[in-house]
Amino acid sequence: MGEYYGIDVADIFNSMQSRFRPEGAEGVEASIGYDITGTGMWELRIGPGGMSLDKRDELTGCDVVVHVDAQTFVGLNIGKIDAMAALGAAKLKVEGDFNLFAATGKMFTKYVIPGQEVVPEQELLVLKKTISVNQRFAAGPVMGTFLQGLKEKKILAIKCPVCGRLQSPPREICAPCRVRNDEWVEIGPSGEMRMLEYCYYASPDPLTGETRETPYGAIGILLDGCGENEVFWHLLRPDQLDDVQMGIVMGDSVVHGSRLRPVWSENRNGSINDIKYFEIER
Amino acid sequence: MGYKNKKRHVGIIGIGETKFSSHREDVNQPEMIHEAVRRALDDAGLQIDDIDCVVHGNMELFEMVHQADMWHTIGTGAYGKSAFRLTTGGTTGGTLVCGADNLVASGMYDVVMAIGFEKLQEGHTTGGITNMADPLWARKLQSGALTAQAAVKLIAEFGEERARRAAMTYRIIMDKHACKNPNAHRAFHLEWDQIDDLMKHSPPLIGDLRLIHMCSQSDGACAIIFASEKKAREISDTPVWIRDHITIHREETLNLHNNFYPIQTTHRFAAEKLYERNGIENPLEYFDVFEMYDPSAWWGVDWLRDFFLLEGDQHIQMVENHDIMIDGKMPINPSGGVIATNPIGATAMVRVAEAAKQIRGDAGEHQIPGKVEHGLASSFGGTMWTVLTMLEKETNW
Amino acid sequence: MQKDDFSKSYVVEGKLALPYTYFAGRLGSTFLTTIRDQQKIMGVRCNQCSKVFVPPRQTCERCLSDIRENWVTLENTGEVINFTVVREHDKHLPRKTPYILGMIRLDGADTPMVHIIEGVNPESVSEGMRVKAVFAAESEGTILEIDHFIIS
Ligand SMILES: [Zn+2]
Repeated sequence: MGEYYGIDVADIFNSMQSRFRPEGAEGVEASIGYDITGTGMWELRIGPGGMSLDKRDELTGCDVVVHVDAQTFVGLNIGKIDAMAALGAAKLKVEGDFNLFAATGKMFTKYVIPGQEVVPEQELLVLKKTISVNQRFAAGPVMGTFLQGLKEKKILAIKCPVCGRLQSPPREICAPCRVRNDEWVEIGPSGEMRMLEYCYYASPDPLTGETRETPYGAIGILLDGCGENEVFWHLLRPDQLDDVQMGIVMGDSVVHGSRLRPVWSENRNGSINDIKYFEIER
Repeated sequence: MGYKNKKRHVGIIGIGETKFSSHREDVNQPEMIHEAVRRALDDAGLQIDDIDCVVHGNMELFEMVHQADMWHTIGTGAYGKSAFRLTTGGTTGGTLVCGADNLVASGMYDVVMAIGFEKLQEGHTTGGITNMADPLWARKLQSGALTAQAAVKLIAEFGEERARRAAMTYRIIMDKHACKNPNAHRAFHLEWDQIDDLMKHSPPLIGDLRLIHMCSQSDGACAIIFASEKKAREISDTPVWIRDHITIHREETLNLHNNFYPIQTTHRFAAEKLYERNGIENPLEYFDVFEMYDPSAWWGVDWLRDFFLLEGDQHIQMVENHDIMIDGKMPINPSGGVIATNPIGATAMVRVAEAAKQIRGDAGEHQIPGKVEHGLASSFGGTMWTVLTMLEKETNW
Repeated sequence: MQKDDFSKSYVVEGKLALPYTYFAGRLGSTFLTTIRDQQKIMGVRCNQCSKVFVPPRQTCERCLSDIRENWVTLENTGEVINFTVVREHDKHLPRKTPYILGMIRLDGADTPMVHIIEGVNPESVSEGMRVKAVFAAESEGTILEIDHFIIS
């Protein structure tokens, strides 16, 4: 077995029991597989009774399997390599429950190289806060008209008197023409899907601070009655993420996207949530 | 419009950058900023008393500190001086340079220090960006700066294989540059034989945008000192001149989520105007270095076409032929660029700082081997808007 | 110009909620952990400007010299040099209103620090009153490691 930074892969595994932090593994009942390229495979099981570790020939049935080369593995454990950096560079691959893998950081104390125990660093204070501020937004007459329309299952667009551009959600003015929009047009409610942002990354919903469920799809839809740039932005029904086709217009080449229709909420109060999402029209 | 209306030339006479990283638990915000301020003062050989005015900026929702310039006075040295705060999103650093340039060019101040910073580990970057969107609609839908739009476009035009390979080639070139820059945040030492593996296995963020393609979230600060021509020549042996800068804004661009091409980008629009008024007929030939605000490898590849006013697949070829490498025909981001290092409020300013260092010839290990006399730096922000800055070694334009 | 029609206007309740993580840094951590563990308040001195700053800072804001090593221990007592009474309640405030927020210059310091004053009612507080720090039994590593200052 190769040594990296003066440490053997086996040293890391052999010391796991003594580095285990039960308080960091509270409520976890899972198995984590480690496939150390060219070195071997280990299965770590975490449960109410603590942890156990075994050498394995295969890792089927683990909740998550970590594939990593020996040098990166040692580097991660002694704090020489940053996990995000290793992930980004694909030196570390995580197959299965990613959150479980991320939680292992809390389950063990850092590996300390024998003879190199360092004087504890100065305690550096960290303050964690979720700052939450209530806000009140004036919809104004233009956005107000649009949002009131949603209550009646109508999607309204506003039309520029100069260039004829439709905007929905509406804006009071057409910025390129520098004129005030004045005419309302009903569009959709069905249309053709153009852009799909297939989001794997779990960002917080800024309205609640809660992490969003992934994957989800934010979509641009060309609603019936609209053309060119006049797309409408909303969400896709989450279980149809893999069933839709993006529409793309590149010069003379036209690919049509899936036909979508809105699914309305039962209780509509004049907000974006009045449409739950768009789904495939069958 | 533009440089012809300047009252006098403005030169960069001092540059300071912190080391960029994601672990700055050892300093608070003004302490981190002060590291860059101290380096810029030392670089110029000045004391804080020599500075007439301080321009400060970042994106305040990222750390949720309002009027951060007040607290930061203990690090910036603005005490008892004129001070301004500018914040324009991702372009903040570029806008800070525009602001400082305007303040000196107008004759109002002789020596101005601009400071951009961000401490992204203190906040939630993507969450913060979503809040720039309209609260009644887009805030619920926005995924921050993460988008697969450029990937969709490049794949539609050039096919999956060629587009994906070009994006990853661009990414590896940027990493090779970052490995030469001691201030760069992420330097992975990626190798060419990793291309296929990375194309398949780097974790996906959105669609074809993978973690490896996307910029890091960095902590750090940048400070640049600007002076009038007379002062600049007195203080510095190697002043770098701000020839011109242009800012192009646009309305919120939710309507660009539509896969309808071609679209007019603010990058191309800004480049056309800037080159026209400066008589630059062939930007690829004219510029010796381009520090681009490239938040992802996909955008980096796509935007080459806009900034250099290219047609067809010329931009893809530039990447495929490694023309954009530090020793290539048109070096892009010898610093490693934004994918390696992104302390957002400082990022666009670092572009100008790095291009200026190249022109001074003292960039160190990431110095371009050939002559560098004409530099270009870009900023990107908001929902697709642009600042472009032209830098020169001489004042003979 | 047409007359605006505001009949469709209304107000939408919104919220902005995001997680933040703040680092006190070496200097700030030393300041706060010393209060927490030793009930001792420290400041830093700028020798060039002959000023003692509290809370401490790495650089003197006036001359910008590095003063991070120049620790001085201050008294836990001081003087009210200014104050205000907070009367409007908000969920972010550390106390139920009304309470007194004072500028307190600790003995040995040149700059005042802001903190809560207790032991006197809002009508009777005045400049020049002497106060003493009361340390918190438990806090989360902020300036509220000092719970309040009490009129002595
Ligand atoms: Zn001083």
